[in-house]
Amino acid sequence: MRYIFLLIITLFSATLFAQQKQFTTDDDGKFIYYKVVDSQKVSKGIIVQRTRDFVAAQKKSIKIVIATDSSVSAKGTLVIDKTVLVVGHPSGEVNYNLVVQARDKKYRFWLTDLEFIPYQRDRYGNFIATTTIGTPLEKKVDKLTASQWKDIQATTYAKIEKLGESLKAFLATDATVKQPTKPKETISTKKW
Amino acid sequence: MKKFLTAIVAMASTTCALAQEAPTSPLEISGSVDTYFKYDFAKQPNIKTSFASDHNSVSLGMIDLVLKKRTGKASFVGELSFGPRGQAQSLPNAAEDVSSFHIQNLYVNYDFTDKFSMTAGYMGTFIGYEVISPVGNFNYSTSYLFTNGPFQNAGIKATYKFSDKVSLMAGLFNDWNVYTATRGVSSIGGQLMVSPVEGWTAYLNVLSGAGAGGYGTIEDLTTSYQISKAFKLGLNAANYDIDHDGGGYAGVALYPQVAVADAVTLGLRGEYFKYKEVAGVAGDKYTAVTFTANIKSGGLTFIPEVRLDHNGNKPFVKDNGMAAPNAGQFSLAAVYAF
Repeated sequence: MRYIFLLIITLFSATLFAQQKQFTTDDDGKFIYYKVVDSQKVSKGIIVQRTRDFVAAQKKSIKIVIATDSSVSAKGTLVIDKTVLVVGHPSGEVNYNLVVQARDKKYRFWLTDLEFIPYQRDRYGNFIATTTIGTPLEKKVDKLTASQWKDIQATTYAKIEKLGESLKAFLATDATVKQPTKPKETISTKKW
Repeated sequence: MKKFLTAIVAMASTTCALAQEAPTSPLEISGSVDTYFKYDFAKQPNIKTSFASDHNSVSLGMIDLVLKKRTGKASFVGELSFGPRGQAQSLPNAAEDVSSFHIQNLYVNYDFTDKFSMTAGYMGTFIGYEVISPVGNFNYSTSYLFTNGPFQNAGIKATYKFSDKVSLMAGLFNDWNVYTATRGVSSIGGQLMVSPVEGWTAYLNVLSGAGAGGYGTIEDLTTSYQISKAFKLGLNAANYDIDHDGGGYAGVALYPQVAVADAVTLGLRGEYFKYKEVAGVAGDKYTAVTFTANIKSGGLTFIPEVRLDHNGNKPFVKDNGMAAPNAGQFSLAAVYAF
C-alpha cells in the first residue's frame, strides 16, 4: 500500500512537471502567443492609441512598424537571462513581432515570429549577440542542444506571457486620467 | 594630452542630457573553466604560441570568474582568472611568483548618454581578433598575432556611438600588459567600428606608445561577417613598428567557419606572420594552418584541433633532436561557460 501511494505521488509530480506552459503554433507552424480580450467600455480608437502609448513607453525595446486606425504592428526584442540560484547573466535575446487589432468592445493581439539570438561574453566581460541571424524558436534541434533549447523556449514563454499581461493591463487603463495624489503623511512631535 | 582631455570633457558636458535613467541590474556572475590534452607529433612542445603549452599531458587552462553590475548609468566589471592560462601564461601576474591570479578586466564605466560613455581601469585589449578567454575564441590554440600583440590595456577611454553602424573610441593608456605604467600614461589609442551591412562588423584599431620592445605603433584590422546562417568569415591583419628600427611584426589571419549541424561548427585558421628586421637581421616568418571543430552541448564546448606550422629557418625540433622547418600538434579541449 505504501509503495502504491509513493508511485501515485511520483506519477502526479511527473505530470505536473510535464505541464510546463508552452507556445501554441499557428497555421504556418510558427510559435504564437494569442489572446482575444473583451474590452466592453473602450472604443477601437482608444485601444489603438493606448497600444501606441505602450510601445512609446518601451521605445528602447519595441518599435512600431505599421499603425492604422484599427491595428498596430510592432517589432520588439526581449533579453533572456540564465539564472543560477539568485544570480545570473543575459544568455540571449528573442526578437518578436507584435500585432494588435481592435474592434469596438474587443481587441486581439498576438506575438509571433520569435527568433533567438545567443549571447556570448566579449573581451570586456559584457554579453553581446554572437550573430545577427536569429533561430526560429519552433525549430527542431538535435539531441546535443535539445535540453538547453527547451529551457530557452520555456524562459521565452514566461517572458512573452508577462509582456502580454502587461499589455492587457496597460490597454485596460486610461493613462491620461490623473489619479489624485494623497498628500505625504508627516508626523509632528510637538503635540500629542 | 591637455587638448585631448579638454575635448573629452567638452564632449561629455555638451552631450550630457536628461536622458532616461538606465535600469539597475542585479549582480551578474559568469565565467568559464577549461582543460586540454595536447600531443605534439615531434613529442615536444614545438609551437610557442600562447597557452596549451604542455605536451602529452591532461592539463589545466583556467577558472575565469566575472562579476558585473549596473546601477543607473554606472557599471563595473571585475574579472579574475586562476590556473596556468590565467596565471603565469597571462601577463602579468598579480604577485611576483607564479602562484597567483590574473586580473582580466577591472574597470568602471559611466554612460553619460545613450551615445557617449567613458571607461577607466584595466581592460581586455581592443587590438586583435583573439582573446585570453577560451570562450571568446573559436580555436583553442592561439595565433602568432595574438601571442605577440597586447593582451590588456590599462587606461581611460571615451566611446561615442554615432549609430548602430558607426562608433568611435579614443583613449589614453599605460604600456601594454602592466597594472602600473612604467613610462607614464604614454600610449594613445583609437578604434573606429563600422557595420556596413547587417552581420558584418569591422574594427580599425591603432595603438601608439610604449609596448613590447619599446615605443611603437600598431595598426590593426579585425573584422567578421556572418554571411549566412551557416557560414562566417573572420579576418585579422596587423602591423607593428617599433621606433628607431627596433623591429616589430606584421601578419594576417583568415577564419572561415561553417556550421554543419546545430551543435557542430568546423573552422579553419590560416595565418601568415613575420617578425621585422632588426639591425639588418631579417626576422622569422611563420605560416600556420589550424583545423578546429566546436561541438556544443549546453554550456560545454568540446574542441578537437589539428595544427601545422612552418618556418623555413627551422626553429622547430624533431623527436630525434634535429632542427625542422615544420611542426604539428593535435589537441582536445573542453571549455565550459556558465
